[in-house]
Amino acid sequence: PPQVVPGADPSARQLCFAWGPAEVLVCETRFGRAGRAGAGARVLTGSVADSAGEAPGSSRVFVVRRDQDIYIQTLRKLFNESHGIFMGLQRSEEELAGKSRKAQLVQVSKNYRSVIRACMEDMHQAAVSTRDPALQGQYSTQVSILSAMELIWNLCEILFVEAAAAGPLLLRLLDWVRLHVCDVDSMVREVLSSENPSKHKLFWNVVDVFVLQGRMDEARHLLSKEATANPTSMNMYKILDDLMKKMPMPSLGNTQTLTELELKWQHWHEECQRFLQDGTFASNPHMESICKILLGDEDAILEKKELMTTWYHFLVTRLLYSNPTVKPMELRFYAQSSMDLFLGGESSPEPLDMILMAAFEFEMHQVIKECSIVLSNWWFVAHLTDLLDHCKLLQSHNLYFGSNMREFLLLEYASGLFSHHSLWQLGVDYFDHCPEYGRVYLELHIERIPLNTEQKALKVLRICEQRQMHEQVRSICKIMAMKALRNNRLGSALSWSIRAKDAAFATLISDRFLKDYCERGCFSDLDLIDNLGPSMLLSDRLTFLGKYREFHRLYGEKRFPEAARLLLTLMTAHIAPCSFWMTLLTDALPLLEQKEIIFSAEQTYELMRCLEDLTAGNVDKQKFQEDDETTKVEMLRLALARNLARVIVKEGTVEGS
Amino acid sequence: QVSVINTVDTSHEDMIHDAQMDYYGTRLATCSSDRSVKIFDVRNGGQILIADLRGHEGPVWQVAWAHPMYGNILASCSYDRKVIIWKEENGTWEKTYEYTGHDSSVNSVCWAPHDYGLILACGSSDGAISLLSYTGDGQWEVKKISNAHTIGCNAVSWAPAVVPGSLIEQPSSQKPNYVKRFASGGCDNLVKIWKEEDSQWKEEQKLEAHSDWVRDVAWAPSIGLPTSTIASCSQDGRVFIWTCDDASGNSWSPKLLHKFNDVVWHVSWSITANILAVSGGDNKVTLWKESVDGLWACISDVNKGQGGVSAMTEGQQNEQ
Repeated sequence: PPQVVPGADPSARQLCFAWGPAEVLVCETRFGRAGRAGAGARVLTGSVADSAGEAPGSSRVFVVRRDQDIYIQTLRKLFNESHGIFMGLQRSEEELAGKSRKAQLVQVSKNYRSVIRACMEDMHQAAVSTRDPALQGQYSTQVSILSAMELIWNLCEILFVEAAAAGPLLLRLLDWVRLHVCDVDSMVREVLSSENPSKHKLFWNVVDVFVLQGRMDEARHLLSKEATANPTSMNMYKILDDLMKKMPMPSLGNTQTLTELELKWQHWHEECQRFLQDGTFASNPHMESICKILLGDEDAILEKKELMTTWYHFLVTRLLYSNPTVKPMELRFYAQSSMDLFLGGESSPEPLDMILMAAFEFEMHQVIKECSIVLSNWWFVAHLTDLLDHCKLLQSHNLYFGSNMREFLLLEYASGLFSHHSLWQLGVDYFDHCPEYGRVYLELHIERIPLNTEQKALKVLRICEQRQMHEQVRSICKIMAMKALRNNRLGSALSWSIRAKDAAFATLISDRFLKDYCERGCFSDLDLIDNLGPSMLLSDRLTFLGKYREFHRLYGEKRFPEAARLLLTLMTAHIAPCSFWMTLLTDALPLLEQKEIIFSAEQTYELMRCLEDLTAGNVDKQKFQEDDETTKVEMLRLALARNLARVIVKEGTVEGS
Repeated sequence: QVSVINTVDTSHEDMIHDAQMDYYGTRLATCSSDRSVKIFDVRNGGQILIADLRGHEGPVWQVAWAHPMYGNILASCSYDRKVIIWKEENGTWEKTYEYTGHDSSVNSVCWAPHDYGLILACGSSDGAISLLSYTGDGQWEVKKISNAHTIGCNAVSWAPAVVPGSLIEQPSSQKPNYVKRFASGGCDNLVKIWKEEDSQWKEEQKLEAHSDWVRDVAWAPSIGLPTSTIASCSQDGRVFIWTCDDASGNSWSPKLLHKFNDVVWHVSWSITANILAVSGGDNKVTLWKESVDGLWACISDVNKGQGGVSAMTEGQQNEQ
């Protein structure tokens, strides 16, 4: 059904819509504004006139979210633990065949169910301990939703995963009913804990409950109390007790075949029939009704509607007393008629009823479809379908998105996780196990995770690197580099751009470093620059930065000849940008002024040539208008000339200096 | 099921024409007939006004966020014929470039995939489409396609970046050979596809199916399939889904999504391209998904769909 945006103005406005990465935006607007169409022929004032008579309250934008459940704190356990079970299942031994594989899958199913129950418990605790009625309402709703999920899952486990055969099937269904129909529990407790149970007004109700649920021993125990209190009915009691004791039940072991059981049951049924017809219980309507129930009399069972509360309880009771060896495929007939008889045209089936019905009819796809519609998030259907797929029960239905239903649902579920600030990490694993579209979905989603902290960025990066998602790695590194640069963290920016292998950015940042150096006379982030290693080659400017720093290091360590050689190479090999030559030549000054000769003749000629190249270049002509620059050039020329003089003498007099 | 998690009161003094989330969903940009562009921080359900940008002299029609690797950049276009690019520097938002090359209202702006660099396509009522490319150092290069659509261009949308051929990591010094394409919709009832060849933009395809002005086009994000998909909507009330199966981009075939009773103004794809949102004149936004048999189903009617997503609509009395 269409969803109304609360607070939206119902007058004639239109809705503008935009997708966000997680949430969506909706705002009220009016399309068809003047001036948009045509060559500006329409006049702007038209739109002003339109909106003139309206309330100005149309300036709101609604941020709408689709899946709220992932934000519920108490459900966190559900998502986290089921993720663990899911992963275990994906990695589990496929080589195990037959019985052991089935046992394994049943265990997985049980694990999922225990997680649901644990969550229910937490939710219940939360409901009980909160004082806020709205919150209490929310928690209670969640508890009933979880309870319904567990009910459905349990039935699916019995029918599909375990695929219980005739015989054990009934036992499982009985367990299922006993576990889930809890409305009578408090009544039972009340009667059992009273001083004189047989005198309690609800005594017979409780006996009936036990009989309806096939809890024979408990029923007999209660009845014995009645017998001791009422010696007159001792005879009747003994017969009924005996019948109940002898009732043949399917067993889990291989102690009897179905045929044997059916035979025994037939005999027993006839015996019950005889006692009823003889009028044995005629004087005690309660006991007579119990006998009728034992005979599977539908009307007698239906009379106890309030004690059963649901049609599926009625179904199982019916089966227990009329066809305990029911085969799985026969369930559908009993199910439909049970529901009709129980509801009796007074009420119509609810979504939960339809889902259970679909399960009894073994229509797995229908179960999944109905659950998808009714439940507010994809958790349930995604995990259940995955399990059923591992049981090899789902034929492949080719869907455009997701090559089969399993993948389709997992993709939806995982996509939903990505809007959460920490649950997205679980989503990654789910995408990994979607062979067709998992990877591309991951690529699209992982880029949208806000990289608030360096830690988070590194985490995301690691995930991308592990999966060879090179584009995403590059993109993330570039984003981080840009962020660092904006915050003036040059070192960080540089290391990110190296990681991104982004030459252009590295050049930009290196220029910034060099500019900083020129302004302040020192380098920041020395560690980083000193340890660039081969990544220095990423960009020419970066190489220069690294080498220039090396020059300073050599100078600092007083390794002057090496420093000198490096300095010269920086210019002659054109590693240094022209704009920096003046600075380099200036750096050469102290080397030229040293007592010992550092630059050889050849090197000095090279330096001179560099200086001439620099001063001759048109680009730098303006620079030399300034006195500063002219002085510098003069000083350099002088120093170079002096050095040349000294070195010629030195090289001339001492051989092989 | 949907729920409103935040209601941002923008305090715009007139109609809002566009609202867009940034890449991460942390910021919201809105633009209005009151000539302003506003930016809000909407993290954790909050709404903090970060910037109130003034610069346009007429209603602002659209805003578009650039990819975060270029910094925080927002483009806006307006009836005043201008396209303004805003950038956040040192914590404040400023105008970084203003383009006034159009003769008439600029109706739509769309940033190209980040792989191509920082490029903005702009569609205008003067019938031309401009492409603004950032070349560095605050400089922008302009390429104009004049007479792209007669009477006017209403929408532009870029194709996702797909590298033809190899998926091997390329050294960064080499730019991969991207084939740049985008789609535009205009008052000539046409959807056109443009391709860049030898640094020139050429009309590659003309998609004819609408019988009235095309109001919006949206090229679907790529999920790795060889097909390309474009959605277009028009004043004729129709929404078409165009698909092209081959890589050379030659044969496009339209499929009618639905015929609405009123003008359809906007179409947009979700990030994994599996849902198409359609904003119509009938006060509804409907969401559509492609189903098993290749037919498009409206998932606003929960009974028909496979998901628990509903459409959003205003509480009109005559709504069924």
